[in-house]
Amino acid sequence: MNRYRFLLFSFLPLMVHGQNVLIKNGTVLTVTQGTRENTDVLVTNGKIARIDKNIATPQGVNVIDATGLYVMPGIIDCHSHIALDVVNEATSPVTAEVNVGDALDPLDVSIYRALAGGVTATHAMHGSANAIGGQCETLKLRYGTVNPDDLRMQGAPRTIKFALGENPIRVHGEGNKISPNSRMGVEQVFRNAFSEAQLYMKDWDDYKKGITKSSPAYNLRNETIADIIKGNILIHCHSYRADEILMLMRVLKDFGVKKITFQHVNEGFKVAPELAAFGATASVFADWWAYKFEVYYSTAYNAAILTKNGVVTSINSDSEELIRHLYHEAAKTQKYGNLTDDQALALITINPAKQLGIDKMVGSLEVGKDADIAIFKGHPLSVYAVPQKTLVDGQVRFDIMKDPDDMRVDINPAEKYASFYESNVNSEEDGCLRGISETLLQEGNSNYLRFKYSQNQDH
Amino acid sequence: MSQIQSFYYPQKRQIETRKFTIVCFIALFLIGINSVLKAQNSDAPKPLSSVYFLQNCFVVKQPGMILPAQNVIIKDGFISDVGPILKAPFNAQIIKADSMYVYAGFIDGYSSAGIPKPEARGERGERPKVQDPGNPPNDIAGITPQIQASDVYKSSDKSVNDLRGAGFGISNVSPRGLMLPGQTGLFLLGDAENDKMKLKSGTGQTFQLETNRGVYPSTSIAVMAKFRDLYKNASIAGIHEEKYKLNPTGLARPDYSKELMSLYPVTTKKIPVFFVAPKTKDVHKALSMKDELGFDMVLTEVKQGWHYIDRIKNSNIPVLLSLELPEEEKAEAKKEGDKSEKKDSMLTKEVKKPEKKEVNPEQDLFDKKKDASIKEYLSQAGVFEKQGIKFGFSCLNVKPADIRKNLRRLIENGLSEDFALAALTTHPAQMLGISQMAGTIEKGKIANLVITDKPYFSEKAAIKYVFVDGKKYDYTEITKKPDSKPSEAGKHVGVWSYTVETPGSTQKGKITIKKTDGEYKVVVIDDANPNREDTASDVSMDGNSLTFNITINLGQSVRVDFDLKFEDKSYNGSVLVGQMGSFPIKGDYEGDPKI
Repeated sequence: MNRYRFLLFSFLPLMVHGQNVLIKNGTVLTVTQGTRENTDVLVTNGKIARIDKNIATPQGVNVIDATGLYVMPGIIDCHSHIALDVVNEATSPVTAEVNVGDALDPLDVSIYRALAGGVTATHAMHGSANAIGGQCETLKLRYGTVNPDDLRMQGAPRTIKFALGENPIRVHGEGNKISPNSRMGVEQVFRNAFSEAQLYMKDWDDYKKGITKSSPAYNLRNETIADIIKGNILIHCHSYRADEILMLMRVLKDFGVKKITFQHVNEGFKVAPELAAFGATASVFADWWAYKFEVYYSTAYNAAILTKNGVVTSINSDSEELIRHLYHEAAKTQKYGNLTDDQALALITINPAKQLGIDKMVGSLEVGKDADIAIFKGHPLSVYAVPQKTLVDGQVRFDIMKDPDDMRVDINPAEKYASFYESNVNSEEDGCLRGISETLLQEGNSNYLRFKYSQNQDH
Repeated sequence: MSQIQSFYYPQKRQIETRKFTIVCFIALFLIGINSVLKAQNSDAPKPLSSVYFLQNCFVVKQPGMILPAQNVIIKDGFISDVGPILKAPFNAQIIKADSMYVYAGFIDGYSSAGIPKPEARGERGERPKVQDPGNPPNDIAGITPQIQASDVYKSSDKSVNDLRGAGFGISNVSPRGLMLPGQTGLFLLGDAENDKMKLKSGTGQTFQLETNRGVYPSTSIAVMAKFRDLYKNASIAGIHEEKYKLNPTGLARPDYSKELMSLYPVTTKKIPVFFVAPKTKDVHKALSMKDELGFDMVLTEVKQGWHYIDRIKNSNIPVLLSLELPEEEKAEAKKEGDKSEKKDSMLTKEVKKPEKKEVNPEQDLFDKKKDASIKEYLSQAGVFEKQGIKFGFSCLNVKPADIRKNLRRLIENGLSEDFALAALTTHPAQMLGISQMAGTIEKGKIANLVITDKPYFSEKAAIKYVFVDGKKYDYTEITKKPDSKPSEAGKHVGVWSYTVETPGSTQKGKITIKKTDGEYKVVVIDDANPNREDTASDVSMDGNSLTFNITINLGQSVRVDFDLKFEDKSYNGSVLVGQMGSFPIKGDYEGDPKI
């Protein structure tokens, strides 16, 4: 009964979100089913009910006039740290048991800013301090709520953060003088963790079958890694170098794990056919590089090369600033790689949806999908594009015509400053290594400045 | 427990033989003698008698029931009689309480009164030295559920004295610490020896999202993961232990982990988890964890819980609202735009020079929003009352001196006086299972009383006496002072030098202490930056000790807490600089403050 009541309460607000709306006469960029001029999109109960010309306005349905505007699926950011109170549990190279879903922050004003860039869903990720970091949460940007549960995207599969290369080596090897202290060490951390989880599963199987009489201890870390091996959790791995990318695919093959998205993956272009063959996907920056040693060998053609080799590719932000103009980032692939409009838009819509396992629900404008919609003045791949309205489940969450200065949901009664800028002027930088500078500072680590620098690069 | 009950309920035994009564009487007499002998060793003058007669007072028997012209007899720690026509026992000390109001002693639902604060960790607040930060020993990780409040409670701690002075007779005390600091216990807030003040142990297990720096679990997400892990393992270990007791053959020997064993009462729902959840997201975490794992819970130190009021009500979750409330800026302070801006400019250098009041719509809008936000915090108690949620209060973070003022603010914002009193007495008594001993003024209950000169919630009321466990604590002297001399000169007023020793450097400067309109003002000027004045907040002078804090800019705003102990013309103390640690400070008197 208790459980039932709980379910009732957690779903109640979601039901409220489902809206009815008719978007009239726009240029509809479905992404998966072509572009349709002067077309209407009818939303019923938060889902796309019809896409057609001249749909009669049903009674009691709000109309958004999109004449001269572009209507596209809400942008999905496959790598983000907004709406999170905690990003890194950086104390151990393996922390599979922690879950950033426990520290969602619906009050984060960055959510509203992302909406103002046409973004409707983000993949809120654990940081890259650990080889196996924490579990991540796929969010719908329902800004305005105070209940963290309202942000969760129901039906999205579980995901987890892995990290290769310099970050885990610095934090644990150099910072704490423990393994991993080299790229080889990182591989060994994965192999040990997977092997341990296999033994753990066997212990429990033996107990359940009655082969052993005493119950093994419960271990949430091993439970989680076991779920990865069983295919219940998608891996999203922070990665740069081609050799390491190949390494991780070998490790996964050895343990029978199939689902992985490589994040950042700056040298992905070197191993695009191998990624395609494995079935791995890639989520890249349009053109960020050279912010630390392992990302010097990079190219703005990365997304295009990966795409043309058949790798499902997305472009992500990993930044609360870049998230506001991911459509520009996608457009860069037309300059560097001549992708078509649909290919470029797929990088920020249906492809990240596939990587997060939510492509049945979002990522394109199709009947039956969630009405997560961005409306632009100017083609979204044009430099003149300006987002006008952003809808999540058919509900307008951003409207450029109703955009007050202060959009904070919750004002701390102890807050001294009127503006967000003033109150955050000295606050800690965002990004994958968030929460670590403090630890390093007190270590008196000679590498501190190097860290600080890499941190400012947000990944 | 049964012992306590029979001890506290002599009236239950009335039907038994007179002989027994005589035995009891002798026993009580002996106890009386015993305490007299003890008292001789202390500095305080010994009480003439442990029998008191409160004469001709208003007795607020329970919330909503005021009886005029009553007398109360207190004998050996109990309320031995209450009524309009009573004769003072021959050996009673008579307290002429004409027109005074007598309330049942208040009950604090949760705090760490009596638990000494730990010494500041490490010189620079360093993280603990451990071999593997990912797997520290349990005590460093903050996992010490086996600690009982009674292991660490000190009735002589200043916090007990302070809370008693605010009218509290019983506190549900939690050990201090991190995620699982230990089990709470009930204590009488008297000043007798620690064990004598114990009322009930193991009332619950504290859980909070507090962590040690740089070791696992270092974040709230890891604390929650670790708690899930411990909870499941405690369930498994508990079941295994039972199985092993029945038939150990072929079974692995139980681990007998003291941490897991002390969680068995939680997993078997014998005791609740006191989940410290001040802000809205904490409350959400608490409710989610409870739904997920199924333990019994008391939502504790709630400041911003109104978003989840339906869920709290429907699941019948006991709640303790925090008595710490957000500060409101006084109307005058706001008008003096210059002053507040000056204060702000110390925090961020970029902020523009103070100018004549200019139109700033952003600031105005913000002020409105902030006022509305504060109003929500102040209205919470009233809103909970309207929903019929029988909350209590927790005194974890409130300064005891602010309690009455804060209760009045809650009442101004919709809480009824009767409900406020219930939240101080009967509600927590029910929640903590002590309704038979405390919470109302009835014959046979523990003699915990608060006596005020006017109705407690009225503007100018002052506490005159507090009784705890039948012992009288007199506040008639203290409360007189501010009345007679509202603008007295103030203690330790003047300009004082200071020297702070930090590793590798010595900082010097001046501290100016003034008293105007009955309030202390403290300004700190560092020699390294003589043009800057830091005006202190939260100034509190208590006897010879002065505490206050300033906020300085070290690349980011850092709060610096001063704690000074004065001796004639010099002082010693400590400064706590953000999370960097605590450093010694000393200084000497230099002269009068410039006016």
